[in-house]
Amino acid sequence: MKLICWLNLWVVAVPLAWGAEVDFVHDVAPVLKKHCVECHGGDKSEGGFSMNTRASLLDAEAAVPGKSGKSEMILRLRSDDPDEQMPPPKKDRLSGKEIAVLERWIDSGLEWEPGFSFSSGGYEPPLKPRRPELPPVVDGRENAVDRILDAYLKGEKLRFPTPVSDREFARRLYLDVIGLPPPPEELTAFLGKKGGERRGRLVKQVLSRDQAYAEHWMTFWNDLLRNAYSGTGFIDGGRKQITGWLYQSLMENKSFDQFTSQLISPTGDSEGFIRGIKWRGDVNASQSRALQFAQGVSQVFLGINMKCASCHDSFIDRWTLKEAYGLASIVSKKELELTRCDKPTGAKAAVGWIFPELGNVDPAADQPERLRQLAALMTHQDNGRFTRTIVNRLWRQLMGRGIVHPVDAMHTRPWSEDLLDYLACYLVDQKYDLKKVMELILTSDAYRGRGTKLTQRPDDYRFEGPLMRRMTAEQFLDAIWSITGTWPKPDSRAFKKDGRQQGGQLEAVLKAHGENAEWGDRPVRAVFTPLNGLQASLGRPNREQVVTERPDLMTTLEAIHLANGPTLAGTLAAAGTNLLEQWKGKPGEMIDWLFLSALSREPTRREREALTELTGAEPTRETVEDLLWAVFMLPEFQYVN
Amino acid sequence: MKTMNDLMIGGGQSRRDFLKALIAASAAAMAGSEPRLMGAEGVVQPKPTADACILLWMGGGMAGPDTLDPKRYIPFEVGTEVEKIISTFPAIDTAVDDIKIAEGLEKIAAVMDRATLIRSHVQPDLGHILHSRHQYHWHTGYVPPVTVAAPHIGAWMARLLGPRNPVIPPFINVGQKIEGNGESEELKAFTTAGFLGSEYGPFNLPYPEKAAEAVRPPQGMTAERFSRRYAALKTLLKHSPRGEYLSDYHQESMLRAADNAHRLLASKDKAAFDLALEPKENRERYDTGRFGKGCLLARRLVEAGARFVEVTTEYIPFVHWDTHESGHTTVKRLHGEIDGPVAQLILDLEERGLLDRTLVVLASEFSRDMIIEGVPGSNARDQATAKTDVVKEMKHYGLHRHFTGGSSVLMFGGGVKKGFLYGETAPERPCIATKNPVSVSDLHATIFQAMGISPKTSLEVERRPFYVTKDGQGKPVRELFG
Repeated sequence: MKLICWLNLWVVAVPLAWGAEVDFVHDVAPVLKKHCVECHGGDKSEGGFSMNTRASLLDAEAAVPGKSGKSEMILRLRSDDPDEQMPPPKKDRLSGKEIAVLERWIDSGLEWEPGFSFSSGGYEPPLKPRRPELPPVVDGRENAVDRILDAYLKGEKLRFPTPVSDREFARRLYLDVIGLPPPPEELTAFLGKKGGERRGRLVKQVLSRDQAYAEHWMTFWNDLLRNAYSGTGFIDGGRKQITGWLYQSLMENKSFDQFTSQLISPTGDSEGFIRGIKWRGDVNASQSRALQFAQGVSQVFLGINMKCASCHDSFIDRWTLKEAYGLASIVSKKELELTRCDKPTGAKAAVGWIFPELGNVDPAADQPERLRQLAALMTHQDNGRFTRTIVNRLWRQLMGRGIVHPVDAMHTRPWSEDLLDYLACYLVDQKYDLKKVMELILTSDAYRGRGTKLTQRPDDYRFEGPLMRRMTAEQFLDAIWSITGTWPKPDSRAFKKDGRQQGGQLEAVLKAHGENAEWGDRPVRAVFTPLNGLQASLGRPNREQVVTERPDLMTTLEAIHLANGPTLAGTLAAAGTNLLEQWKGKPGEMIDWLFLSALSREPTRREREALTELTGAEPTRETVEDLLWAVFMLPEFQYVN
Repeated sequence: MKTMNDLMIGGGQSRRDFLKALIAASAAAMAGSEPRLMGAEGVVQPKPTADACILLWMGGGMAGPDTLDPKRYIPFEVGTEVEKIISTFPAIDTAVDDIKIAEGLEKIAAVMDRATLIRSHVQPDLGHILHSRHQYHWHTGYVPPVTVAAPHIGAWMARLLGPRNPVIPPFINVGQKIEGNGESEELKAFTTAGFLGSEYGPFNLPYPEKAAEAVRPPQGMTAERFSRRYAALKTLLKHSPRGEYLSDYHQESMLRAADNAHRLLASKDKAAFDLALEPKENRERYDTGRFGKGCLLARRLVEAGARFVEVTTEYIPFVHWDTHESGHTTVKRLHGEIDGPVAQLILDLEERGLLDRTLVVLASEFSRDMIIEGVPGSNARDQATAKTDVVKEMKHYGLHRHFTGGSSVLMFGGGVKKGFLYGETAPERPCIATKNPVSVSDLHATIFQAMGISPKTSLEVERRPFYVTKDGQGKPVRELFG
């Protein structure tokens, strides 16, 4: 609530002498604040009217610049009709002087403090990239992320996080990059290595596993781009997968500018994203495909919530109905009519890009050309919002919480502008190579920091180290399947799209590898399996809305699924049989191996005792199942920490 | 700090305390991703007249004229012009003088003196009838697509009221098989807590007779082994060398959830899920199929302390109430499936003294008509599969179009009037609501009102309010309450 404090400093508006300049910050805003904003600002929009921004005032036609006599707000402020007057009866009226201030403000052109809104704490993020100067190296930490954090932490009087062991580091790294815990033999080999370069080499090596990387990051991108193999919309051909294109793009680590351009200005294989979801029948104007496009492009690439503005001028940030329709008009092949809260306004929408500082889209161009121009503006070298948004998302994935939080509200002040801006520039320096940004983060000492607890109030968040993250449904299942050798058989629908263009996800994978071969015994990662009850309870979403963060808390329903659901029970039964065979007569070694596989560490003496008691000296399939269950239920297993 | 879970225990706590606590929790503890309750101070929560709610869902579009709102009856006869047909069942008397319903529902007719019957429930014209879309609308109050995942009304109750008995999941969904259904993805879209988070999501029990398995140790596992396994987990947690990190709120959520789950799985109350424990004659009274058994399960669950239970006849495209042909024959069968169990449920709840505080609602996503698709004047595409001008065979006889202009909702208990009729539809085609139309928003507001939730209650999502009824605009139909 910084804004309120700021406003309070103004105390009382100084009465103006006629003829003096009217100043928005010192004269106008206090009057609005005192009489209007309580009901028409911030989250509030009585009568559907908000004056958060100049645009929202104008858009509601509350004021006509230069013509106070024709401005609705003045007429109402002066009215004595109880149904018309503002403020409403029972509230204090404005003094003549206060009304005069507003009249002169309107007459002199409705000046507004640039970037100021009554809603957002007044922070307007910069658009252009900014290259911060790196602070000096402290304690030998040369990584740029560490250099910035050292300075940040010093300023916050916090200590640099203590590093975790190599084991914990390796587990974190594997789960973050390829979505699987390190297999014992790879872990042991890494632990045997000496020398300062060992971790950096491991980072490079794990990042270079293109297929496993693609399989893991498919989860993130499917959520973000609403890519599903089946679901709402397919019934009428109202939806199109981008599975093959996405997998291929991740496999080859397509540069992010190119990746984005192909989504915005698509070829056949990537057009599913801008096509969105067409529901059968009539839908609310704010959910037409063109508006879905405006929302999707804004949220995914710019961290802007255009959902509110698709219906009316946003009350939570500065975006307006016109801007939402401007973006929508880029994709729409026919002229759109501005529709406020599902009621046509009669006004025609104009093609427009939301950061005209960078240039604009030619309204006269045809649709493919408009999309090409939009793609060029999005990936424009001066569009720092674009690069900041994606590096912030990567930071969130690897460190547990964005530099800007929440990741879809990029107008929020970052906890370190330097870090955000540096990473954004770094992405451009590295030719939009996302893996390079990941590598920079993954090789920082900060990434190795001991996981911290999120106990602070969100408003007071300060970086003290990575946060623990829950495994996704896909990571959880992949980990169990890989450890116990119980990968599911591929679903036959995954090899051929049905009449509605659903399924075929594994066929797309084979194609990306240039193979027509049989799938054979290859593992099927959870990301390619259909959504079922267990995965839904573990937080895998329906992909009708863009999802950028999976739930981080365990729920009761999920725990019931894990305790007695047939899906997991079936897997554990098969796993029990496998392990019993594999470790016949060696129960102690089995426990050690399981710990190493699942938790990347050996059990302590007491843990070994407890589990030996569970399995008995001669384990049976059932006791091995129980052993697996107990280990897989540990928070230490289910969290990336 | 209190966890959300501590606050959920309904026990001796009044609802007001619970809501107050929720608000406090929202303000203080929301480091995580739980949506916050918004402006709760300004919203006056009504005094509840019901503690539990059972929704009996006639999935697929129950034809009003062939069930609760009979019109002029034209019997089956080859050569009859289909335009002449409105109802394919004659009307019968009920326990209430001015209310008649369709033949085949005699047992429901006999308990009509306990019911409020709405005949003027109306749906929006969405241009093209898609069951899942109307079902989404009916179950969440929002017409899809919606920019955030809208919660099912049961999830709202779970979130705002919590469980009545801490071991019984507050939102239980009986009878709907989702996997393998032709519209499974669409069903998943509203069978969810949406942005409220899966803690408040449905506990799905597609097969009532197998409900007991859902709360039992996995197949082949003894209770002893089940608790031994859990004890081993507890020991590991106690001795974990990572113990110092276990106070993290993430991990707490895991342990709490596991405790909740095991509390249910180990509790005596889980007997409520087991239909085999019901006396044989009772089971027979309800056993008209899965729906009937579902009604019995709902009764047992509400007795044990469930907050919201939905029982469905199950929506499967072109099956059950979704009559695109052979409507009369199919509805005759469905009469047999619902009549006994619905009436018995009401009588049982009454006998146990639970009806007064349990709101039972029987509803469907829309009605059906012989001729009209959507509403008169709609350009919705005709989807009947038995198209004909005159009845030539039995498959032509029935209401095969989706009608959104007026449908019936039956309500019992939970504070609604007894033997009360509200609204009407025209006696002749088009049988649109001619008096007191009740929208989905208003019907929800009425249900929420009975449960003690203001229709203006909202939670914050993506920094904006999301209301239990669309835009907080639902108006309870006050005339329905006694």
